[in-house]
Amino acid sequence: MLGLASSRKTAWRLAVRTDEELITEILNGETAAFSELAARHRPRVERLCQRFFSDPEITRDLAQECFIRAYTALATYRREMPFAGWLRAIATNLCYDELRRRRRRPEDLVADFTAPAVQWMNLVNEATPEEIVAAAEERREAYDLAHRLLDSLRAEDRTVLILRDTEELNVSEIAEIMGWSEAKVKIRAFRARQALRKQADRMRAAGKRERLS
Amino acid sequence: MINCFEARQEFPAFWRRDLPAERRAALVSHLAGCAKCDRAFRNFAVGAPLLHSVGEPPERPAAERQSTREARARRSAGVVRGEFVPRRGLAMSAAAMVLIAASLAAYFSVTTPVDTLNDELSNDPIATQLLGSDLYTSSEDLAG
Repeated sequence: MLGLASSRKTAWRLAVRTDEELITEILNGETAAFSELAARHRPRVERLCQRFFSDPEITRDLAQECFIRAYTALATYRREMPFAGWLRAIATNLCYDELRRRRRRPEDLVADFTAPAVQWMNLVNEATPEEIVAAAEERREAYDLAHRLLDSLRAEDRTVLILRDTEELNVSEIAEIMGWSEAKVKIRAFRARQALRKQADRMRAAGKRERLS
Repeated sequence: MINCFEARQEFPAFWRRDLPAERRAALVSHLAGCAKCDRAFRNFAVGAPLLHSVGEPPERPAAERQSTREARARRSAGVVRGEFVPRRGLAMSAAAMVLIAASLAAYFSVTTPVDTLNDELSNDPIATQLLGSDLYTSSEDLAG
């Protein structure tokens, strides 16, 4: 009876090992512990990559690359910052580099709207705010058009918006992750919001035109 | 009543349905009476599914997923069978290589004398003995 309780206790302790404990094990040569660490953080890293790229293959590859880099640089990880934050910095910089590598095509912003995309734009133009919020959760095209909107921004602007709005980081945290000055982060955030408004206006106008034609 | 600044601050919480009923009603009422904020909210709604939604993105419709899978499978099958698969990047690289090769050919055809070989052979006593001096005229003779 005691043995069973003890083995359960050990199992529970193993199941809830903290990030720091797992990292210590990995650095001591128990490399298998990394898979547990990666499994714990993978959904969050993939979700961050999904904010940068809509293609699931690209997001999976970037998440994988993020864990490879984390593994190879684990010895340089400083314990005073949370491991999740360190991973977020790696993933953000990977996505940012990939954004810069891929050339954006601004002319694609309002071209070739599909029928569901036109429907979504019309809903955004005409429905009540509560109807828009309710409909957005179920519509894939809302998500795709949001990606298209953010694709029209510069890589710096998109990165700042994602870190500010989805990760809810402040200016100094963004500056630290990106290696920029705080002034640059503020300027980029301001410009990004301006550009976002302008491009959203263009997309809504294009939705109206598509409907008329 | 809330002012425009307060209303716009509430957009993200409204989108995530985190606003208490009272503030939600105040925002909706403000949007109904303020054309500028209404427009700002509609612009916000275009990017919000990506920037302000907390859950997983909605699934693609089944038909769209199927067509994407089929297109990918067709592309992969072509590669396996060794068929030509049009790739924009590949075409651009090929065009650039052809251009570089053509430029190099043009450069060397202009800068390299046509009759360098003639000059070398006509000055070489063994070659002259074997082939005869009159077979290879020098560039000076040609110029003259």
